[in-house]
Amino acid sequence: MGSEPNGSFAALIRKRQTWLLLAGILCFVLLPRVGGQYTSYLVLTFFGYGVALLGFNLLFGYTGLLSFGHALFFTSGAYTVSYLTAKFAIPYMEVSIVVAVVVAVVIAALIGAICVRYIKIYFALLMLAFGMLTYSFLIKFYYITGGDEGMPVLRPHLLGFDLSSMAKMDFLTGWYYYYVLTVFIIATWIMWRIVSSHFGLALRAVRDNPEKAYYLGIDVRRYRWYAFIISGAYAAVGGALVAPVIGNVDPTLTYWTHSGTLVFMTLLGGFTNFLGPLLGGLVYIFLQDGVMSLLHYWRFVFGAMLAFIVIVAPGGLAGAIELIANKYCAKKGA
Amino acid sequence: MQVFPIRHAAAILKTTLAKGLDGHMTTDIINILMSGIFYASTLFLLAAGLQLVFGVQKIFNLACGSLYALGAYTGVVFVEQFHNMGISPLFSIVPLILAGLSLFFVGIIIERGLLKFVYERDESFQLLLTFAVVLMIEDIIRFIWGTSPKSTSGVYLVYGQIHLLGSVIPVYNLIVILSSLLIAVLIGFMLMKTRFGRIIRATADDRQMGEALGVNMRIVYIKVFTLGTVLGTLGGALVIPTTAAMTEMGVELIVMAFAVVVIGGLGSMKGAFFGAMVVGILRSFAISTYPELELLLIYLIVIGVLVFKPEGLFGGSRA
Amino acid sequence: MILSANEIFKSYGDFGVLAGVSFQIHEGEFVSIIGPNGAGKTTLINVLTGLLKPNNGKVFFKDHDITGIGPAKLSRLGMARSFQLVNIFPTFTVMEFIKLGVLSRQGKGARFYAILKRDREVNEEAEEVAQIFHLEDKRDVQAKNLPQGDKKLLDVASAFALRPEVILLDEPTSGVSTSEKNKIMEILIDASKKMGIKSIIQVEHDMDLVFGFSDRIIALHSGKVLADCTPAEMEKNEAAMCAVVGEKGCFKICSSLLE
Repeated sequence: MGSEPNGSFAALIRKRQTWLLLAGILCFVLLPRVGGQYTSYLVLTFFGYGVALLGFNLLFGYTGLLSFGHALFFTSGAYTVSYLTAKFAIPYMEVSIVVAVVVAVVIAALIGAICVRYIKIYFALLMLAFGMLTYSFLIKFYYITGGDEGMPVLRPHLLGFDLSSMAKMDFLTGWYYYYVLTVFIIATWIMWRIVSSHFGLALRAVRDNPEKAYYLGIDVRRYRWYAFIISGAYAAVGGALVAPVIGNVDPTLTYWTHSGTLVFMTLLGGFTNFLGPLLGGLVYIFLQDGVMSLLHYWRFVFGAMLAFIVIVAPGGLAGAIELIANKYCAKKGA
Repeated sequence: MQVFPIRHAAAILKTTLAKGLDGHMTTDIINILMSGIFYASTLFLLAAGLQLVFGVQKIFNLACGSLYALGAYTGVVFVEQFHNMGISPLFSIVPLILAGLSLFFVGIIIERGLLKFVYERDESFQLLLTFAVVLMIEDIIRFIWGTSPKSTSGVYLVYGQIHLLGSVIPVYNLIVILSSLLIAVLIGFMLMKTRFGRIIRATADDRQMGEALGVNMRIVYIKVFTLGTVLGTLGGALVIPTTAAMTEMGVELIVMAFAVVVIGGLGSMKGAFFGAMVVGILRSFAISTYPELELLLIYLIVIGVLVFKPEGLFGGSRA
Repeated sequence: MILSANEIFKSYGDFGVLAGVSFQIHEGEFVSIIGPNGAGKTTLINVLTGLLKPNNGKVFFKDHDITGIGPAKLSRLGMARSFQLVNIFPTFTVMEFIKLGVLSRQGKGARFYAILKRDREVNEEAEEVAQIFHLEDKRDVQAKNLPQGDKKLLDVASAFALRPEVILLDEPTSGVSTSEKNKIMEILIDASKKMGIKSIIQVEHDMDLVFGFSDRIIALHSGKVLADCTPAEMEKNEAAMCAVVGEKGCFKICSSLLE
């Protein structure tokens, strides 16, 4: 475990970091031109989930708290967009994002105050319970939440521009794609600063050895609480970004298996690496698309994959890549 | 729209108590209690399995709900077979119990095939592995039985009903309640009086103790997990006459099971019993007064317990 | 008087560990706490550092009542501690470890937005600490990959990085080879001088180190203070020595007296 790898492959990467990142961003920018609408659509959902995953891994990879209910924040963000665009006729996406963050911060502050006193299993299951409580709430209070049918999400205005005249796919893989990409890049950059900060180091201390962290003057519970709030806010932004894509929000967004999906994406990509969860999210979205259309029993396949990762390769894809690349570099004597 | 649900529920309580032995209200209370206790009985079996596994192996088995569902589906199959063989529906309880017991091999497969690799690992990873099992079992059920619910016909009513203090209670419910009680007693006996039970209690307190006593922990783990599995599948099988087997059963039960073990105390058998009773009766009460609050009410208690007495009613010094 | 323990009682259920421990530490003192295993030394340290609440009695630090306030608050008041069993952050590099202590001391724990690597204040101070503890050439080694002795040194270094006024060291040389022990003690004394630490309290089993470095020795036995005096006075009190140190120590003392 750890997010500052010492292997020579990592050092190699770090030297060319900026170039690699720019290349990656360039790929994303060019995708709608070269990749076609459907692929862009998938990558668009990846951007939203990616933001949510960054938040999730702040809590899991960096602070050591596994949340099986994080989808509830994702859902709060999604429902926020639905309320604002459909019910309150406030179409501005920027407003939706800000309100989503505020709502999530409030919810996270309250729930977090209870949950961060517990760790490991209790924390994971408490979050699962809160996620299901949200599910139950959304279904039963149908007169305000639309019940199990959910509520529609109207097309938001981006930067003040009303684009409702465009065809749906053109909007999604055009304007909206670049909008979300920009938010995604900004969010990733902010998260990178957070984990590289003093706070980030303190969080890793809280994760590795809470007792010793106390003795170094770190208020463990308070810091977990901060991490929880940030992580919830990120998940909400992710949900807000994805809502216009799916067009309709419903309670299944917060069912515990959706939280499980976030966990799976993170494990798949590798939680010990900053970009790992993002890799996992991207792979998962394409995998799910491919596997689901071929295989009726994709849950079994994913379950087996998760079992494999947990038992054999807990570092996920990023961990495996690092391992292989380190061996390669060692052979070359880099 | 009812704005003050608590007032509403309190009003019902008040009228109930005020009317005292007026038949109608007492019937309501008896009904609530009995259906609550019935639900608690099946929940107890599930929770007992959970507690056993957690106490010894320190793993919270998220898949317990899936095993419950597996037991339910298998129960339907066994009961149908029995009917086809021409045996009277009165003996339906037999195939149900057999169904539950016959799934013990699933426990062995999970334990030897997957769980044993993660005993030394972080709790979060163990939990993740059980989550993987949930996903796999869900699709296994889909593969074997498809997605539509399965139920048995007529078994429920075969046993008839009895009249108790003015309310009508299906006999089958009583059979299940008694069976659960019997199993609870058997478990208690096993834990207190048998060598195996002593080993379980010793390892629950101190993991290394078991090894120090020269016991083959590998066999103990297999046995304990299998027993935990069977308790879950039995619970699922027994509930079959009253409800249909559905793939979602397992998933929703986890939330209830977690509530039970938090309230009762993680790792405690007594806790499983009382926790199940509290959750079962509370749920029944909520359903008949203000159904929207069913889960919320239970979880308010859970949060209350976590805040004021995190070890639960009977738990040890573990949080 | 910088730290005082007043009638500390601590028991776990019926099992009594500390039965009325009292003593005072003054500025500038190097005090060693000795005693056989089970005498309650680590429990005493846990109580002194606010981790455990005693059943009875109080602990005062610079006139503040610190009984049970918890290690985080205590470290901000100016007292730190190291651990008997290696207590590290396994994934941290040496520099990160020390930096954590430094940034905590500088009160920068909650800074979300500044990049740690570019914080010159933290870097410089951490570099200083690393050099004092002779760990600067291992700065990028992960803590879990260090040799045992260095792990302990790192644990101590991070505590020192807080620049506390009083530091409690729980068996700082345990698990270290005999030849290394003196070197470590010298590093500790040197560090204390350079970093403005006023008093050191250590729990120690090695009598050579105890007698060689302490201003005062407190002997603990069965949860009570058996003796509280200077090394010279302690040597004369053979009875107390034997009771506390056990046969091996007696042999050493007796044989050194005979020479």
